[in-house]
Amino acid sequence: MVSLSPRFYLTCLAVALLMPGWAQSEDRLLRRVIDRETQAVWADQKIAPPGRATDTVFLRRVYLDLVGMIPAYDETVAFLADNHPSKRELLIDKLLADPRHARQQAQVWDILLLGRSPNGIGHPNNRTRFRQWLGDQFQNNVPYDRFVQKLLTAEEDGSQLFYVVHRDADELAAATMRIFLGRQLQCAKCHNHPFEPWTQRDYYGMAGFFVRTYVKEGEQQDHVTRFFVAEKSTGDVSFTVVPKDAPPGFKGTPVKPKFLDGEELHEPALPQDFKEPESKGKTAPPPPLFSRRQKVVDWITSRENPFLAQAVVNRVWAQLLGRGLVHPADDFHSANAPSHPALLRVMQAEFVEHGFDLKWLIREMVNSNAYQAEDTGAVDDAMPKFYERARVRPLSAEEWLASLHLATGLGIESAVKSAPSGDMLKYLGQPTDGQGAFQGSLSEHLFLHNGDGFRGLCHPRNGNLPEQLVKSEEGWEAKVERMFLSILSRPPTAVERQQFVQYLNPEPSDAKVRSQRMEEAFWVLVTCSEFRFNR
Amino acid sequence: MKMNSINNPCPWHQHRLRRDLLKGAMITAAGWALPNWGALSHSRTIAAEAKRAGKRCIMLYMEGGVSQIDTFDMKPGRPTAGPFRPIHSTVSGIEVCEYLPRMARHTDKLAVIRSMKTKSVDHGIGGYHMHTCYPSSEKVPHAEIGAMIAKYCDNPESDLPSFVKMGPAGCNAGSGYLGPTYEPFTLDTDGRLPGFANPSVSQEVQDRRGKLLEFMEQQHAREHPARPFAAHREAELRTIRLMRARKAFDVADAWNKARDRYGNTPFGRGCFTALKLVEAGVPFIEIGHDGYDSHNDNFPVHKANLKVLDPAWSSLLEDLQDRGLLQDTLVVWTSEFGRTPAINGQGGRDHFGRAWTVVLAGGGIRGGQTYGASNRDGFEVADKPVDEGAYFATIYKAMGVDHRAVHYLGSRPIWATPDGSMPIPELIG
Repeated sequence: MVSLSPRFYLTCLAVALLMPGWAQSEDRLLRRVIDRETQAVWADQKIAPPGRATDTVFLRRVYLDLVGMIPAYDETVAFLADNHPSKRELLIDKLLADPRHARQQAQVWDILLLGRSPNGIGHPNNRTRFRQWLGDQFQNNVPYDRFVQKLLTAEEDGSQLFYVVHRDADELAAATMRIFLGRQLQCAKCHNHPFEPWTQRDYYGMAGFFVRTYVKEGEQQDHVTRFFVAEKSTGDVSFTVVPKDAPPGFKGTPVKPKFLDGEELHEPALPQDFKEPESKGKTAPPPPLFSRRQKVVDWITSRENPFLAQAVVNRVWAQLLGRGLVHPADDFHSANAPSHPALLRVMQAEFVEHGFDLKWLIREMVNSNAYQAEDTGAVDDAMPKFYERARVRPLSAEEWLASLHLATGLGIESAVKSAPSGDMLKYLGQPTDGQGAFQGSLSEHLFLHNGDGFRGLCHPRNGNLPEQLVKSEEGWEAKVERMFLSILSRPPTAVERQQFVQYLNPEPSDAKVRSQRMEEAFWVLVTCSEFRFNR
Repeated sequence: MKMNSINNPCPWHQHRLRRDLLKGAMITAAGWALPNWGALSHSRTIAAEAKRAGKRCIMLYMEGGVSQIDTFDMKPGRPTAGPFRPIHSTVSGIEVCEYLPRMARHTDKLAVIRSMKTKSVDHGIGGYHMHTCYPSSEKVPHAEIGAMIAKYCDNPESDLPSFVKMGPAGCNAGSGYLGPTYEPFTLDTDGRLPGFANPSVSQEVQDRRGKLLEFMEQQHAREHPARPFAAHREAELRTIRLMRARKAFDVADAWNKARDRYGNTPFGRGCFTALKLVEAGVPFIEIGHDGYDSHNDNFPVHKANLKVLDPAWSSLLEDLQDRGLLQDTLVVWTSEFGRTPAINGQGGRDHFGRAWTVVLAGGGIRGGQTYGASNRDGFEVADKPVDEGAYFATIYKAMGVDHRAVHYLGSRPIWATPDGSMPIPELIG
């Protein structure tokens, strides 16, 4: 069981004494622990605590993180005009209840589970279907352990794509360990693990749970394939010895499944003369006599398994604050210590205590001072190690396109329906090196300069914002104000207002010139760094 | 090469000189905060730059892990041999696979290292190790070899990207600690520019909106020194220059005449584009050839791949030589690792790092030799093992780049190759 630091108890006590009514509300506790623990590390590291992000900075950040798009013009204006002392907390609650939140979570988990461009999923509609299934889970706020169980059991319609992408036992063992338990077991495939007491035997033991699993394709409808994740009753992994000692044709020694914590699987013996039944046609294959996969799914999602909660609190932390407390977020091992060990322990325990409630976890994190830290300061790291400045992250291709729809006044409905084109995914879909470091790509900028799907959005037409502004009777300063609030979710500075007014309405000019200038000005604002990143 | 029109007064974004960037400038006159990306002292960099000008490198990367026994380290008569037969080459004592008949005529140019002994034998980690010289487990943003060579062999006056990467490479470390100036420009295997490389607006519009963009970026940069913003701004500047120089990538007419020799394949076209880019002064081009990961059916897979590789690689060497470029252009043939001598139950060969082969040719390399050897069945190195450090140090030596060049990540020093890495003198010509 988790032990809490003395500092944690002291802070709780202090809080309880000072603000009795507030401290009793257990739901509100974790965000204050986060504040206390991050504060303590800043003091230890002699780092000046960051100030609080301004309303405009917070607004854009929290919209992107929670609903995957910038705020619409009206939302921005309403929030900035609001004088309620708890308006940030209220906004967070509102966004967590917004259907766009489930959509955003589904996008994040879809990429995490399948990768950006997986092989073998067939028609893109299959992936759309999978995202819908994920979205349903997040919409219903299914407890996380139950969610993992459903995903890995893969019986519900639409839930199977994880197995379609990760097809063999090796990949499944490595992917489930990495994604759900935060452990990189795959090192132990070829040699005993460098940091952990895991041997090749452990690796093949885990792979043994998945070796009988296979995917069968059923009927198709509207280009959506019905996949069956099935399992045979026979088959074992072979532990291949080092090639040096292998005689030609030798296929290795069969290995029985074994849980990573040491226990070997007890499975009933097969009946004599057992013959694997054939599975014909496009119907569901017969179930196995004994499901190894179910056993490992039960083990992964058991509340006795501390890794499940530990890995996910760290992952969600990284999703919202940039860097995992253990970083990279899926690489827990004894030589990779967490930056805030006490905080990780408390979050893990509280998350279990709260019934694996992801929404609660996100709410607490987003309400913390570390999340709401300012975005300015001398630190140049994208993801500062001690959270002394808010992290900088590029928008995903999906977030970027949805935000473009809002920036150009096409509305929330249009933004929610938007789906990046193949070019957008190819040239903006993988903007980092996989560890969070942004890699400015020339192809991305070529696309921003000349790509059709992008330029069209800035061109005044069909009642979009560029056209509305060209046609509107309001003054130039008001137009510039509306542009900035729509695109960058903030009003322009005095000097920006002046520059843009001059640019939009040059002397001499006519309707054609002004239309052209409007398009150019939109292009500039959706191309600049401030738009490309969460700030 | 001169892509710039010298008489044109250049607007800001077209001529933010790469020299400025090379200085590791902290704040430019325009107020752009530029981070000091792993900077060396300025005078040394520039002086060394001039001396090294003209060195180029083309790296042919066999993605998935290429089999040494089925190419340049054959084991005729041994249980590990497989069905391919060796043939004689122009250099006596060097035999190559029967499916590399045209390369057999160029062995006088090749240095075949048959004793690679490397540590990272899975795709992600192997690709990283063979591109950066370091294991990925260090969690340091190491720079790819392409970025390192781009930095030291780049012509700062050229508008072309200094590091071009075509097709799959099994590594996306990019420029790492060397910063966004040396991020690769990535293309598909065939080297074609994407359809949207041609400017969609007039020069006048591009200049005008470019100035407004610069204004916005300046405002933002004042309070936001974080690296991603700088990388984004830098990529925009480089893109403007690339659009000006894009004609260098337009090889369509010449390709029509060359494609019979190179083989009418994406990889062949990529190799031909690399030739043209080398002529235009690009210091590093990597071309990926995918599909070598033959855990199943190793022999049909390799046979098909070699038929694509052989005409492309040999024509590239011929054309470089005909143009007098080979002496300054190093051509590297490499992979993330080799493949097992043992043939598995599916007729495949698996990942193997204990004794495999890479080939160097051209600039700075003494050709017509093999270096090191594997043992009788190919399971171990028998003579002169070459690790990642020695391999990279040799390439850097041939390119005139200091293999122990040091850069700083914050205050932490990082060397181009690890401590103790030495170039192999026998290979340097």
